[in-house]
Amino acid sequence: MEKIVTKRFGQPNSHLLATYLKDNGYEAARKAITQMTPAAVIDEVKKSNLRGLGGAGFPTGMKWSFIPQANPKPKFLVINGDEGEPGTFKDKYIFELDPHALLEGIIITCFAIGSHKAYIYIRGEYVKSLDRVQAAVDEAYKGRYLGRGIMGTSFDIDVVVHPGAGAYICGEETALLESLEGKKGFPRLKPPFPAVIGLFGCPTVINNVETIACVGPIINKGAEWYAKLGSEKNGGNRLFCVSGHVVKPGVYELPNGTTLREIIYDHAGGIPNGRKLKAVIPGGISAPILTPDQLDVKMDFDSLKAIGSMAGSGGIIVMDDSTDMVWAAMIAARFFAHESCGQCSPCREGSGWVYRNVKRLYHGHAHESDLKNLPGIVNNIGGNTICAFGDAVSMSVGSYVSKFRGEFEAKINKRTHAESNH
Amino acid sequence: MFTAEYLKELDKIKVKYEQPRAALLPILHCVQEKEGLITPEAEANIAAYLGIPVVHVHEVVSFYHLFHQEKIGKCHFSVCQTTACALRGSEEIIEYIQQRLNIKPGETTPDGKFSFGLVECLGACEIAPIMQCNKDYIGVLDKKKIDELIAKNS
Amino acid sequence: MPNLIIDGKQVEVPAGTTIIQAADKLGIDIPRYCYHPALPVSGNCRICMVEVEKQPKLQIACYTPVTDGMVVKTNSPKVLEVRKTVLEFLLVNHPVDCPVCDQAGECKLQDYYMDHGQYDSRLGDVKVKKEKKAFSIGPTVMLDQERCILCTRCVRFADTISKTSEFGVFSRGDHSQLDVYPGKQLDNNYSGNVVDICPVGALTDTDFRFKCRVWYLSKTKSVCPGCSMGCNITVEWDKMRPHQHKKARVMRLKPRHNPEVNDYWICDKGRYNYKFIDENRIQHPQFNNDLISWDRAIDTIAEALKNLKDLKRTNRIGVIASAQLTNEDLFVIRKFFKENLKGAQVDFRVPQKAGDKDDFLMKADKNPNTAGALNILQPDVDAATIIQKARAGEIDLLYVFGQDLATQFGKEALYQISKNVKLFVYQGSNVNDTCGYAHLNLPSSVYAEKEGTFTNCQNKVQRIWPAFAPMAEAKGDWEILSLLSAKLGTPLTYQHSPEIFKDIAATFPAFSEMTYDKISDKGMILKV
Repeated sequence: MEKIVTKRFGQPNSHLLATYLKDNGYEAARKAITQMTPAAVIDEVKKSNLRGLGGAGFPTGMKWSFIPQANPKPKFLVINGDEGEPGTFKDKYIFELDPHALLEGIIITCFAIGSHKAYIYIRGEYVKSLDRVQAAVDEAYKGRYLGRGIMGTSFDIDVVVHPGAGAYICGEETALLESLEGKKGFPRLKPPFPAVIGLFGCPTVINNVETIACVGPIINKGAEWYAKLGSEKNGGNRLFCVSGHVVKPGVYELPNGTTLREIIYDHAGGIPNGRKLKAVIPGGISAPILTPDQLDVKMDFDSLKAIGSMAGSGGIIVMDDSTDMVWAAMIAARFFAHESCGQCSPCREGSGWVYRNVKRLYHGHAHESDLKNLPGIVNNIGGNTICAFGDAVSMSVGSYVSKFRGEFEAKINKRTHAESNH
Repeated sequence: MFTAEYLKELDKIKVKYEQPRAALLPILHCVQEKEGLITPEAEANIAAYLGIPVVHVHEVVSFYHLFHQEKIGKCHFSVCQTTACALRGSEEIIEYIQQRLNIKPGETTPDGKFSFGLVECLGACEIAPIMQCNKDYIGVLDKKKIDELIAKNS
Repeated sequence: MPNLIIDGKQVEVPAGTTIIQAADKLGIDIPRYCYHPALPVSGNCRICMVEVEKQPKLQIACYTPVTDGMVVKTNSPKVLEVRKTVLEFLLVNHPVDCPVCDQAGECKLQDYYMDHGQYDSRLGDVKVKKEKKAFSIGPTVMLDQERCILCTRCVRFADTISKTSEFGVFSRGDHSQLDVYPGKQLDNNYSGNVVDICPVGALTDTDFRFKCRVWYLSKTKSVCPGCSMGCNITVEWDKMRPHQHKKARVMRLKPRHNPEVNDYWICDKGRYNYKFIDENRIQHPQFNNDLISWDRAIDTIAEALKNLKDLKRTNRIGVIASAQLTNEDLFVIRKFFKENLKGAQVDFRVPQKAGDKDDFLMKADKNPNTAGALNILQPDVDAATIIQKARAGEIDLLYVFGQDLATQFGKEALYQISKNVKLFVYQGSNVNDTCGYAHLNLPSSVYAEKEGTFTNCQNKVQRIWPAFAPMAEAKGDWEILSLLSAKLGTPLTYQHSPEIFKDIAATFPAFSEMTYDKISDKGMILKV
């Protein structure tokens, strides 16, 4: 299998400009600017079937084409490096080991959408990433790969590295824009969408780190090549993150469409300590949990959607048969309760309520009516909120309850309501 | 509070952004780096510097977990409690840290040397269970590693 | 202009109108917490969700613009279900404080719950506790963080209307807390408005705290007499249980919506200036130190006036009117003194301290009817001259309407007037220093006891309605002159204020198109 994004990861000093240049670094950017039109670049990315690798899986080329070229306002590119989806750690590797690939992708993308300013939003905890990317930006400016008239062309581009400060919700694209603008990470009401009114009220494209890191290779080797890798409507490879009860947790670059079974057993070494697989989260904590009978699913956006889950961020968390699923549900519910921004009422009150409910269940302080009510309460959050976080709470926590109902029922405290009501 | 030198540093940050308010998060990081925490005095000065109401600076400080309004320990453990880390023993690690330092999450030791807090996914699930010790990611934690960390920073 | 159908009713509205605005136009009240017509849209409460044909998900009405041909249902089963859902979430951590909460009876949580829910609580947990409960955040407003549903109306008000930015929502998730900036107080000219817009009992009025349950309140439309802005208000009063309030009737004032005058707002000075309606009133006619009957009071004045008229010495009558009086009062003063007692010197322009003003609602002129007084009295002599003459003994009858001359001209001047004027009449509503110098004190009504009109600084004529009868033996200002008139043998024919206004409209071209009906409760601008 041909490695694309992780190609240079194993090389010494892979993060340095010198290393990048040795491998045709910035040639794709030069090609795009000097030999192609912006429209042609967008077209190429469309044909490649590259889809957003942050979680939503939106066709990247199509997203770029939404930028209204006639709009006189400046256009912005924002790189979503907030990587907060539990189970996900791939963008960190790109930041630390191949930041120039990201920068080259940024140049090409900016050229395509008519932007001359890009912000790279990196979650505040990723200190090493922030340092590495800033160093790469500094190198790129020195080498005239960023700034005024880059690489001898007339194209100007500026890149700013911007730190987050510890809020998962800032991974939601409009919350990220709010955060970038110096406010709390409150997702915005939509429409208008960022392509029309985004950063500072201007047309903006927001893309995930990995997505943009794929753009250079696509321009170099062509959309057809990229589309052929991967699934029918989901071109290219993907960085799958495997963690939890596996022998070899880590990042694995594999084609979109590889089965979950193959990833877990053939690449991540399977389940340690002779245990069996009990459940697996396929795409970050927001993705509905899967059971062993679903392991042959192809890991691409459409296939996972078809079985009622999602490819999401590519974060695969494996749980063996020692795992208490009520406990696992509680941890997921706790995550959502802690990360809810609090802006809208169903999520703000609902995420806390669901967590407390599941926590009581886990500790044996809940009774039948609590479990009877739980699915309804969980379902009431999704579909009624400003952003998809509410949907994530419903889908994620709801999936534990529906697929492992027996374990929840076993925890019910059979004593009377009055006695067990805390 | 903001000497001429300090302001020069802040100006370098502010100039990168199309709107001054956008410099708020990096400036708060910068100030916290120097002072160790964000005080009301800092908030007032930053608000004036960026031309925004101080109440909205305080909203930002209280919203984002990385900003501290109180002094934390010289060595601060942010221990991840989310799924992947929990599956690989974070609960035992958290319990052990509590025992060794004799403080609960959110507290600081009386000598000011250690504090610890529970956080959600830090994005390093491949080396779970993990913590961020000040700025460093330290993974595959076990009791031995905790002992070493505490010894090193005592 | 887009045409749409809401609940089967058609309406045409300008492009850009949102569903909730279109529904309001039709009189369809879609439930709302965070939406307020004068504030930027927030869309966070989610209770205004409605069903829009051809859209799979429900849409929030406060934010969704109407399109031509749109079909909206605000009461379908789906919508009612979602409202119950949102209410349930809001009640999860809301303390059911109703028995001790001032908002009870005008609380949107209560109201919508009664309309949509009345379901049993499914909560099996303890509610989230917050830091500040029954906490004073300034001289006029109290905060209860647990009752707050985080609609952020107050935050948006402070940012965009008062532009003082005291409020913020701190922390996140269900630990979010609404508060003022730590150490800061809510103390601007418009603080009290946040209590009006808070849909629940999170922000409550300290002045009104535990005073009176709102279902005991009667409401009467009026206009604030505090300055020439003439902000529209509602006088809210409880006359049924005087034993509860030490005989006070008015419990509070609330701003009344008038898009051309004060919109939804009122300044704190105006809001809290109602105690004078019930306190410190002149209650009975008094001659020097003796309480006398109205008959005797009228006789005394009539005799003095008749005398002066017979002796052709009406120029020795001095009248200090007031821009606190209604147009109707002033018209009768004009008729009585300027026309029937030709030669009497009439003015209202006393020296006044320039009051606080700002670039929002507060005006420096602290009178509600200066424009009216100018238009109707058309004085040709000024008050200072009249007072000077009175001091020098050139005035035999000085008739003062509600002006505190002792404060304006000094006690020495009043002492001289009291000595040198044969009959010094003070007709006013509240006791002040001048009363002690007047020979004859007549109790008159306050604005809340009158029907009439004021003309504000925009030259807008606005109506006031009487909430209740004058206190004790007080009478309306023009009604007293009516009695005098009758005693002098030149009776005025007026029984009620509308008749006076009809004459005003017939006399002054600026008022010529106006009637009470046309003025209604929104006001009408004078013709220039």
